[in-house]
Amino acid sequence: MEKNLFEIYQSPQLRNPSLIVAWQTRDVGKLSVKIIHFLNEKLGGQKIAEIKPSGFFPLGGAAFKDNLLRVPESKFSACQKSDLLIFQSEEPKYEWYNFLNGLLDFAQHYCHIKELYTVSGTVSLTAHTAPRRILAVYNQPEFQKMLQGYGLEDMTWEGPPAISSYLLWLAKRRDIPGISLWPEIPFYLAAGEDPVATKLTLSFLDSRFSLGLDLGELDSDIGNQNEKIAQLREEDAEINEYINRLESGLSLNEEEQVRLARAVYELLKE
Amino acid sequence: MGIRLFKEPELEKPDLICGWPGIGNIGLIAVDTLKGVLKAEELGEIEPWDFFYPKKVSIKNGLLEGLEFPTSKFYYQRLEKRDLIFFIGEEQPTEGERMYATGEKAYQMANLVLDVAERFGCQRVYTSGACVSPIHHTVKPRVVSVVSSEKLVEEVIRYQNTILISEIGGREGEGVITGLNGLLLAVAKKRGLEGICLMGEIPDWLSGSPFPYPKASKSVLEVFADILGIRVDFGFLGKMVAQIEEIVERLYEGFPPEIKERYDERKFVVQAKPRGITEEDAKWIKEHIDEFFKKRGEQGGEKSV
Repeated sequence: MEKNLFEIYQSPQLRNPSLIVAWQTRDVGKLSVKIIHFLNEKLGGQKIAEIKPSGFFPLGGAAFKDNLLRVPESKFSACQKSDLLIFQSEEPKYEWYNFLNGLLDFAQHYCHIKELYTVSGTVSLTAHTAPRRILAVYNQPEFQKMLQGYGLEDMTWEGPPAISSYLLWLAKRRDIPGISLWPEIPFYLAAGEDPVATKLTLSFLDSRFSLGLDLGELDSDIGNQNEKIAQLREEDAEINEYINRLESGLSLNEEEQVRLARAVYELLKE
Repeated sequence: MGIRLFKEPELEKPDLICGWPGIGNIGLIAVDTLKGVLKAEELGEIEPWDFFYPKKVSIKNGLLEGLEFPTSKFYYQRLEKRDLIFFIGEEQPTEGERMYATGEKAYQMANLVLDVAERFGCQRVYTSGACVSPIHHTVKPRVVSVVSSEKLVEEVIRYQNTILISEIGGREGEGVITGLNGLLLAVAKKRGLEGICLMGEIPDWLSGSPFPYPKASKSVLEVFADILGIRVDFGFLGKMVAQIEEIVERLYEGFPPEIKERYDERKFVVQAKPRGITEEDAKWIKEHIDEFFKKRGEQGGEKSV
């Protein structure tokens, strides 16, 4: 393991943990951030190490958004009781191969992980009232078999790879069983939040790792969001018609999609 | 960062011929066609991970089947006159958003390519690319050369349809061969190897277009055939040339009459410096080409998984 890559704050008190990885970049429905925040808070996650930004992120200055400075952070947290290792980061700008191998080196050689889980939302053309699915990609058929019965749906896809797929592939080369979870998020919630997808994903993790999480508090977020959108549908016939069409399995043209996404974003950001 | 050799053939001082993507993919098409004509066999590859991001993932029924990276492969062939090693890179390693290789990665790639070449006793390296020139699109492109020593100047001027870059005006004797087609020759020179860059001419107004320019590749290929003393069937390239000519003619037909008239002067002069169109004309052409391709390319983006 290349020690210079890391800043290590404390030795992890983990036995044979599972690694959960979430990316803050292009975080559809803010799913990754929400999930990691929830797990760290409820399971007492402690920051144990980070990958140093040098060589992976632009360091020519400091970025800011909404008046706040943004510092590239790629941190490992340990949830001792639940035996979980959590990694949260922006996607590196450079050197993905070295970054992801560094991530796996730390997880494998320092924390002795047994399995890898990546979590990212994927945009869907369904209505928010439709049941969400979690699409899944495995790197070993045996692991796929082991996770049957959790209600995950197998994905079939060919195209440009996301960083999670690259990580999953590198884990496969190291013989680490891994899965990428891709909960569906209706396109008009992609720029905001989707508490339904967040809850569904947390339910899977809760059940898989027997975490004993109380997910009840997410119900009020779901209720509030549904209520606001219902109100919008009452007030705006056009928006109501768009959502009706999605609910009937019909599609919207690009202009209609943009109009719906914008209206819901404006509504929910308040 | 590694090289994987599939074979260790006995080669007699092979020449290395390299092709990477670039303007009009002129060099890449010429070198790849030559490799195909000579039925060169795979020799090895440079592992892609340190240089490239994966370009495609295949997922079937929930299982990650594989990631596809741009390839950087070596091939070889023994000819009567000389042995050859080919290197064909699907992409140039870049840092940041640039199109052409720059920086440490490009330097590493150049050294890896030359490590393999020298292992087999190579003493001469050819690269091929594009030379943006003020020529008319109906004119046969010449091959413009840059070499690593005075001795090679004497040699290349004997090649058919080939000129030295100093014969094209407007550069005051200086310039840069961008990307690995240039850098490889610089590193080769440092290592004491001979280097020749053969660049096919492409009309200046087409240098930013997204399609290949096989007419110039054909000119380069003719020179390679001459050097190697081989006969090449240009049938495949001929078809490609005809297809692209059709597109270029369509673009040309859209020129306003006064620009067309000035541009057509290029048909009748051996170009020494840019002439025939004004800066204003060039601006008009560029804007309209962009518009033409924008219309064809508006099909939406792809997501990644």
